[in-house]
Amino acid sequence: MHADTTTIVRLDGVEKHFGAVRALDGVDLNVDAGECVGLVGHNGAGKSTLMNVLAGTTSPGAGSIVIGGADLTGAYGVAAATRQGIRCVFQELSLCPNLTVAENARIMHPSFSGFGWRRRAGALIVGKLDEIFPGHGIEAGNMVGDLSIARRQMVEIARAFSVTDTPAALVILDEPTSSLDAHVANQLLDYVRRFIAGGGACILISHLLGEILQTATRIVVMRDGKVVARRPANEFNRTTLVSAMGSVVEERGEHTAAATSRRSSGEPRVRARPAAQTDKLELLAHQGEIVGLAGLEGHGQKEILIGILQARKRRSDMAYVEGATALVAGDRQNEGIFPLWSIARNIGIRSLKSLRTGALIDRTKEDDLAAEWRDKINIRTPDLNNGILSLSGGNQQKTLFARALASDAEIILMDDPMRGVDVGTKQEVYNLVRREADKGRTFIWYTTEMDELDHCDHVYVFRDSRIVADLARDELTEERVLHSSFEPEA
Amino acid sequence: MSEGAPSTTLLGRGYAWSTSPRVLRSLLPAFSLAVILIAIFYLQPRAMSPIGMKLLFNLAVPIALATIAQMFVLAVNDLDLSIGAYVGFVVAVGSTMLSGGLAGLPLLEGLIPDPAPWIFTTPLAGIVVLAAAIGVYALLGAVIQLRNLPSIVVTLGMSFIWAGLAVLVLPTPGGSAPTWLRGLMTLQVPIVPFPIVALIVIGLVVHLLLMRSAYGAVIRGSGGNPRSVARAGWSLVRVKMAAFGLAGLFGVLSGLALLGLTTAGDANIAVRYTLLSIAGAILGGSEFVGGRVSPIGAVIGAATLTLANSFLTFLRLNPDWQIGAQGAILIIVLALRVLISRGEVRN
Amino acid sequence: MKWINVTLAAALLAVAGGGVAVADTSDKRIALSNNYAGNSWRQAMLRSWESVTGQAVTDGVVAAADAFTTAENQVTEQAAQIQNLILEGYDAIVLNAASPEGLNGAVKEACDAGITVVSFDGVVTEPCAWRIAVDFKQMGKDEVLYLAEKLPDGGNLLEIRGLAGVFVDDEISAGIHEGVAENPQFNIVGSVHGDWAQDVAQKAVAGILPSLPDIVGVVTQGGDGYGAAQAIKAAGRDMPVIIMGNRHDELTWWKEQKDANGYETMSVSIAPGVSTLAFWVAQMILSGQDVPKDLTVPFLRIDQDNLEENLANTEAGGVANTLYSAEDAASVVAEAKAM
Repeated sequence: MHADTTTIVRLDGVEKHFGAVRALDGVDLNVDAGECVGLVGHNGAGKSTLMNVLAGTTSPGAGSIVIGGADLTGAYGVAAATRQGIRCVFQELSLCPNLTVAENARIMHPSFSGFGWRRRAGALIVGKLDEIFPGHGIEAGNMVGDLSIARRQMVEIARAFSVTDTPAALVILDEPTSSLDAHVANQLLDYVRRFIAGGGACILISHLLGEILQTATRIVVMRDGKVVARRPANEFNRTTLVSAMGSVVEERGEHTAAATSRRSSGEPRVRARPAAQTDKLELLAHQGEIVGLAGLEGHGQKEILIGILQARKRRSDMAYVEGATALVAGDRQNEGIFPLWSIARNIGIRSLKSLRTGALIDRTKEDDLAAEWRDKINIRTPDLNNGILSLSGGNQQKTLFARALASDAEIILMDDPMRGVDVGTKQEVYNLVRREADKGRTFIWYTTEMDELDHCDHVYVFRDSRIVADLARDELTEERVLHSSFEPEA
Repeated sequence: MSEGAPSTTLLGRGYAWSTSPRVLRSLLPAFSLAVILIAIFYLQPRAMSPIGMKLLFNLAVPIALATIAQMFVLAVNDLDLSIGAYVGFVVAVGSTMLSGGLAGLPLLEGLIPDPAPWIFTTPLAGIVVLAAAIGVYALLGAVIQLRNLPSIVVTLGMSFIWAGLAVLVLPTPGGSAPTWLRGLMTLQVPIVPFPIVALIVIGLVVHLLLMRSAYGAVIRGSGGNPRSVARAGWSLVRVKMAAFGLAGLFGVLSGLALLGLTTAGDANIAVRYTLLSIAGAILGGSEFVGGRVSPIGAVIGAATLTLANSFLTFLRLNPDWQIGAQGAILIIVLALRVLISRGEVRN
Repeated sequence: MKWINVTLAAALLAVAGGGVAVADTSDKRIALSNNYAGNSWRQAMLRSWESVTGQAVTDGVVAAADAFTTAENQVTEQAAQIQNLILEGYDAIVLNAASPEGLNGAVKEACDAGITVVSFDGVVTEPCAWRIAVDFKQMGKDEVLYLAEKLPDGGNLLEIRGLAGVFVDDEISAGIHEGVAENPQFNIVGSVHGDWAQDVAQKAVAGILPSLPDIVGVVTQGGDGYGAAQAIKAAGRDMPVIIMGNRHDELTWWKEQKDANGYETMSVSIAPGVSTLAFWVAQMILSGQDVPKDLTVPFLRIDQDNLEENLANTEAGGVANTLYSAEDAASVVAEAKAM
């Protein structure tokens, strides 16, 4: 146990639930002055939620928060976090693009006011940039929107480390190097080491395990909203770290043989290459196949799905597609449902061509189609003319599946469609997908859940908007997926 | 590792080319104003005199103030469809209560004892009402933020309320501007005509307020990236209240300036200001979203719109074509801006 | 003494009418500032302006007389337009204003720049401007006076009003009631709103007729006489004296009745040509003559004997019009002076 004076943050039994999803399921974490905690875990492990709790933007459902020795449980928010010197560099950029570098510093530091604040804020931020990234080439008067992504990231990092009347006690860095090149990334990691040597503390989240192992003094591994391992960094190596993140390896299913034989025969229906791909790897999908896209969230899987979807409409460098496509959206509210329409209409919208009589939509045909799919897919509703919002989340998602499967599409694209869906529904949908694939449809399935890859005949792992691994069914292990997701192949 | 750009391109290149479209874009409003002004001078050399300039720019002052009000709302990613009706309401209050107190209200005619006691004739009544109107604006900002309502709907609704109140205060055209206001708007300044002085002062003051002040940066920042502003511990409700309150204040100034020019009120006098203010702000380089605004640009945009109108009169264009021609001028300028912005993106 | 003044002014103006003004105005430029051109009355007004002033320019009475209409019927638009006309250096602005008060600032600026401003129809209250106003009250009263002369025994009257809540409607109606008060042999037994439109008036009159006793006259506001006649005819009643409002269909119907059974009535309204009256008044002021600030538009009255002539000059669907001359303007001015 550390003495209270050096403990900056202590979380005990912190929980956070979003509906049925347990994002944080009783997390204990403490960070002391002078240490850099490396936080690793696969998608959905709870890293981002934990960060938001620390930054004060999310309040936990249970557990205690002690900052600098004071128990702030229940009274913790953005203002308290700022006062206590807890700073965050979020993964998505959080600068105002319409303001200058100096003005963005001012947003963070309310103490800049009165005459000459612009000059003082500029001097502070440029001074910090000089300290962290010598030779950065950024001026205080530059508009942030005009800067390259890398420079914006540098400004944001420098802003988080800059000190006015509040200290920078703990700086949380979420994938800070994702848009920096190697040289600048090293400048940052060197600075982090200097910063903790000077008594500061850091939490470093990164998918580059090398960075974590080099920089962190202690590593905390999360899985399924829990901390599953915490040890000094020198007790880990790459392999032990990856295996700590994964769950117990299970026996594989029995589709392997069929899948491999399918792969070798015939022309592929889909052939796609990410724009950033430099080597020969490409995504292939044949008739009757279920192809999985894996890797950490936001590493180009969604882009390739959209690329494939659009390839039918206009020529695309990214993809060649043979056959009609349909997308099952994962972000139901924003990309999937028409919230004011009935269930039947939500199902029919992808098949309007076949529902027409003359120029008009034939309501009987629409209702028949919806009724047919309600039975096939088991959408639980007394009346298909009810609004879609009358359904539970899982049944809304089934409606989206019905929309895609009721259409003439031979290629079904799935964008992590099982997010926040209960286990029972998941099993029903897995079986349905397999049945449809056996009938000859092709599925391309982006999923953030390791278990779902078991249902795929072939898996492509993405990192940094590229395909980094091409795994046939019989080569698929969780460890390989994790390895590819986190680190370049040796 | 191969991610990101090589360090030479990251650090080595200057950004002279990357700022030049921005400079071009910020010069575009001034450029369009100059073009129209030159065209007017060519058509009507008489306009080149101080009195000519005064007449040309007179009505640009209230429009510029309304445009500034609109710009404050644009700065926080909202749109105010009620500004025209609001300015009309201010004119109605200004021509009645601000000059004659409660006794100036046609509504209360005959109800007030004669001679009216002090409380019924003090212009304080007008000041209180106008201050309350600014308060209502600030409140709207709070409601829009708290209830997450679309500002277009809220302000469209408010426009009917303001118009109704204006007619209630001043049912038929009439009333009169307070003498000090008339005096102010017809002020004689040596050498430079007053409206031009006024426009420059408005532009500079708002520039200081919004572009140079510390809190101004927060207001604009909340248009650029509200989440980032909230994460830095600022209250977005207060930011919106400030922006809408300032819009209300400049709406009041616009109404008073207009009243000072016309000397008498009419509830429907400023119906066109809603669209003019949006057009002026956009013409001056502001954008509908993203907190990109420019006070000096807004003033120039308002002046350009006013001059475009005069230009078409001097051209002797058939009135049936005038609105269309005004729209064409707007589209040309905006098209130029899109071209410049595209250059920016390409770079 | 008064009559001497009148003759003097008339004599002076007789000269002006011949093309030579008291002071030469041949280098003067007059502009028409108009806020609206969207109905037949305004269209006729602009056409009248064009034909009369075009001739005046050709004759060298004035150097120019241009008409400007704002693109939108808005006070601020017209204020800007007036400022532009000042800039263009016109010597006089003839103005049909969008608001009686809202343009005062711009009008004052014009006056300060030495420009003569003559407002008509839509007049402005700014004291430096001239006003040629319509005395709607008098118009209403004249209708009753005509009936009093024609039907000395009096009787019941039906009143057809205009659009409820509009100033003009209130004024005409007030004049009618004043006339009836002065002629107690008449009695208004019913009142409906005809909205100055034939179809509305016809429906309204048809609705009220069954509840009315015999009526001898219908007092109207213009645009509603033909509809009233149709309704009364359909009810099978005796045709009362219906005052007409100079519309083409009203005059046509009157002419048919006159030819068939010698039907007698009168018709009164404001001629769109009033813009030309304002033009001549402005020209008089420019020539240096003394003109009172407040003038009254003469009504265009059509009687039994000049019906055919006026009907022939009225376009189908339009309103009877008259173009004013310099002499007409002089007599209007003289009348105002005599008051």
